[in-house]
Order: sequence, then C-alpha cells, then structure tokens
Amino acid sequence: MNLKEIRELIEFLKEQDIAEFELERGDVKVRVKRGVEPVVAAEMRYVAMPSASAAPALGDVSAPPPAAASVVTAPPAKAADPEEGLHMVKSPIVGTFYESPSPGAPPFVKPGDKVTLGQVICIVEAMKLMNEIESDAAGEIVKMLVDNNQPIEYGQALYAIRPSI
Amino acid sequence: MEIPDLLLPELLAPLISETIFAGKLHHALSVGSTNAVALEAGAAGHPEGSVFLAEEQTSGRGRGGHTWYSAPSQGIYCSVLLRPQLPPDHVLLLSLAAGLAVRSAVADVTGLHADLKWPNDLLFNAAKFCGILTELQWDGARVRHAVVGIGLNVNYTSFPDTLGKEATSLRLESAKTQSRLQVAAALLKSLDREYWALVADSGAQESILRRFQEHSSWTSGCAVRVEETDSFTGVTEGLNAQGFLLVRTPQGLRTVVSGTVRRRAGTQE
Repeated sequence: MNLKEIRELIEFLKEQDIAEFELERGDVKVRVKRGVEPVVAAEMRYVAMPSASAAPALGDVSAPPPAAASVVTAPPAKAADPEEGLHMVKSPIVGTFYESPSPGAPPFVKPGDKVTLGQVICIVEAMKLMNEIESDAAGEIVKMLVDNNQPIEYGQALYAIRPSI
Repeated sequence: MEIPDLLLPELLAPLISETIFAGKLHHALSVGSTNAVALEAGAAGHPEGSVFLAEEQTSGRGRGGHTWYSAPSQGIYCSVLLRPQLPPDHVLLLSLAAGLAVRSAVADVTGLHADLKWPNDLLFNAAKFCGILTELQWDGARVRHAVVGIGLNVNYTSFPDTLGKEATSLRLESAKTQSRLQVAAALLKSLDREYWALVADSGAQESILRRFQEHSSWTSGCAVRVEETDSFTGVTEGLNAQGFLLVRTPQGLRTVVSGTVRRRAGTQE
C-alpha cells in the first residue's frame, strides 16, 4: 500500500464519514481514526512491519492496489439515520445558510423534489465566500433541517434525503 | 483620442510569467459575469490558475444578489480559478487573503494605501473601489474548485447616482489615469504570492490575520452596525482564528460569520 492509496483511503473515509477504520493485509497494518468535528482533524497511523516479503515502498505505483476494493466492503456508515433510512446532507463549513441563489429567488430545492447526485441544493456563506453545497445522494428531499439565513456549524445536517435505490 | 488600455493576454502574459496564472489567461470584450464564466470553466475541468478577464460585464455579481457596476474598460473585472487543497477553515481565509493581495497590488502601482473593510472590501476613506466575491463548489468535505472574482474601479471618473459617494476609483484618488495593465499584472502577482503562502505555509493563517488587522480601520474599536441574520450594533474587537469578526454588544461578544458591516452614524465616516 503506497502513500497515494493511503490518501485515497482517507478521502474515502472522510466522504463516507467513517470515524474509525482498521485494515490488516499481510505485513501492512493501517489504522485511521478521525475526529468527527472538524473533519480535517484526521489522525492517521501507518504501521508498516518489515518482513521477508518486503512491503511495497512508498510511492510505488505499480504495487497491487487491493486496498480500495477491500475498503468498499466496509459497512456503509453513511451519515444517515438507519431507522428511517434517510441520508443527511451536511455542511462542510461554518456559515450562513441560504436556500436560494439570491434573496427573493425561488429555493434551489424544496421537500418533495427529486435531486440528483451533485445537484446544487443550497449555499452556505462565510466572509463573502459563497459555498455551493451539492447533494451527495440521489433521491427525494424529505425535509429542510435548517431555516433560511440561519447560522450553521461545521458538519451540521442541512437536508434529509430519502435515497433512491 | 486615448489609446485603449486593453487587458489583452499578449500584453499581460510577459508581466506574469512567473505565476500560477502564466499561459492561462482568457480575455473577452464583454461577458455577463466573469465569475459565471470561471465557474463553468471549473466544472469543465480547466486547470487551476485559469484567469478570466473581461473589458465589460453586463451582469457582474456581488454579494446577496447585488450587481457590480462594470463600465467598459474602466475597471478590472477578473476571476481566477483555483483548486485549494486545504482544510475548510483555511479555505475561508482565501477571502481575507484576496483582499490583502489587492491592497498590495494597488500600493505597488499607485502608492495608495487602501483600507480593508471586513471581510474584503477595499476603501479609500469611506468609499469603495474594489469588491471581491468568491464562489466555491464542494465535493463532500473537499473543495472542487474556487473562483475568486475581483471588480476593481481603476479609471472611473463618475458613478451612477445610486452609488454616489459610496464609490471611488484609483484615478479619482490618485488624480491621474492608471494603467489597467500594470494594476492587473500587479494584482495577479500578489494573488499568486498570497495563494501559495496559504496552501504551502502552515504559518500563513497567523500572517493573514495579523496583516489584515494592521491594514483595516474596521476590525478593532470601531462602532458598527451589523446586518447578518439579525441586525445589531456593537464595537469591533478583532478577528478570531478563523478570520471572523468579533463584535462586543451589550448582550455579549458576537461572532460575525457573514453579513454586512457599517460604521454607525455619528462615528467616524
């Protein structure tokens, strides 16, 4: 497992909002534990135990890349309420929540709307940085969890979406 | 008749060859909004450092649905495409860093020292000559791309009545016509410097916060009215570690994350 794969693994864990992860493959052991808030306070321990079979060197892109495949089988710890099967779209930053592109304009989405993966559903502003937040699931908007113009925190849930299967 | 001072890539390129923007200049005579063009380019996969300049914007964007008055060839209307790989709270500092970059460029070319109004308007006395609007698209917790849009009044001699005394230009302040080409080149160079510092230097955060407060008459001891989620008054008490403005109110210390800050009537104008 090389450095690039570890980076990809951490990105994946961040995206899936998985707080803790451990992988042991032969002589390589990777353990990732993430702080929940803020997501950037990720902590990583990389323990490569040298042995006769020699772990691939860091940066060796020709190394077999099975890590991603085994990661995919990890339990999907999506930011969802398992009881209702709803997926929460969260804010990556602190700011002020806007439901529409500009004051007075119609909202990007409203409950009942179908959204696609990557569709812009709101804006969070901080210091004149307008952050377009996309839906990270396809499905139906069930509920807007915050009010227009409301201040929000890192990682705060903004919308509940019922994912389409 | 004056020779038009156009921001042609052929003229600008030799002046910014050492920057992230080299070889990535795009110029148009007229567009709706340079930010809109840059956001589309970002989505279409244009490289980091792409610059979109226009001689005129017909619907220049400001905050909260405001427009940016953009008369042909009187100002610099410029949007740059960046892909900062930064933790979210450092990404926010792009806003302050962009203001510092403009201030530095203006000082280099004109010798004029502008006042930074939080988060990144640039003023001479109480009149604004530059506004910056940054738009970001996120992919989960990661920035896919950021577009920093800058509108800078260079050679305006008058403004629409609606702007009145709230607007000024480099020409009005320095009492001479300024080269838009020189200002644009200085601007891209200082943006390049601030951007690399922000993405590469772990100490950039403190430096940005310190310099911003040095060059702003607004961040400390200023009686203000803030229009945010609600409207309130207080006295500014510096920036916090994220760059948010702290305001002491009778009800306690408030942290301003977005919104508009104005000096209170009866205080220094």
